Amino acid sequence: MLMIRHAIGSRLFLQTDDYTITPEGEKWIITAGAKQEELDNLLAFKEELNLFVVGENEKTWYYSSDAEIEKTEAGNIQIIADHKTKYPV
Amino acid sequence: MINVFKKEDGHSASNDWVESHFSFSFGNYYDSDNVRFGPMRVLNDDTIQPNKGFGIHPHREAEVVSIAITGQLKHEDSLGNSGVIEFGQVQRMTAGTGILHSEINPSETEPGRFLQLWFFPHTKQLPPSYEDVKFDVNQLTNQLLPVVAPSASAGVAMIHQDVTIYLSKLEQGKSLDFNQEEDRGILVYVISGAAYLDNEHLIGKQDSARITNLSSLHIKAEEDCFFMLIDLPGGDL
Repeated sequence: MLMIRHAIGSRLFLQTDDYTITPEGEKWIITAGAKQEELDNLLAFKEELNLFVVGENEKTWYYSSDAEIEKTEAGNIQIIADHKTKYPV
Repeated sequence: MINVFKKEDGHSASNDWVESHFSFSFGNYYDSDNVRFGPMRVLNDDTIQPNKGFGIHPHREAEVVSIAITGQLKHEDSLGNSGVIEFGQVQRMTAGTGILHSEINPSETEPGRFLQLWFFPHTKQLPPSYEDVKFDVNQLTNQLLPVVAPSASAGVAMIHQDVTIYLSKLEQGKSLDFNQEEDRGILVYVISGAAYLDNEHLIGKQDSARITNLSSLHIKAEEDCFFMLIDLPGGDL
């Protein structure tokens, strides 16, 4: 499951199982399906987003330090993350 | 200009282990007109029940200051730092490129009340770091005691922003003045008691005031008043 939250107070903007993560060099291209309202929020707060891939016993935290977040032609959200940290929960 | 924010007009959230009063937009409370004051982004007044707290979670690009009012707060982070603060101590954490930490009230019996403040740092991508300092609580009486500042000194935590945080316990009837430079703001937050600002604006527990374009602020305790004063750049959005 992918969760995208506001970095300030953890407001939840998107929760979905419809996502892909593709490593590219030292970055990760994360693409997820999102409704229009979710897309609007994600783009409005693109400087302050934390992404979490939630597993049974661990979470993986991603973020894009340069706010590389955009809507794809297919209407999905795409985030190019340059930070990844895995931690137990 | 003195803008007073009364507690009853503010926003709060609570569950079975924490009660939080938000001065700025935070979590599910979002008001685009109340997002920041200069570089200050968060001021939460949290009361945490015994043996409860915020489990491991990440921060980035923020200077996070925690001030213990009552009880204890235990910090642990991904750098290996660990510390417990209580009244008379302040934590400063530079999240920078990213840090994981937890904040727990380690007491078996007593709730803990803490102020948590977040500021945007003056520089992005700083290396994460943590410190806690102990100040002399006897120096709080009827004067402004700096506890966080851009330069570290005894009893003062260092922050990566042009911000100074003072605490003071003003006895009933006593007053003090804070002189401010041009193009800077002041935030006053009442921890307990009540005080008049410039003999006109009465603020009580969990009220605050955001002050701009004022060269001198007069603070007089209507009753014994424990408050925080923050000197910071700008003050506009």
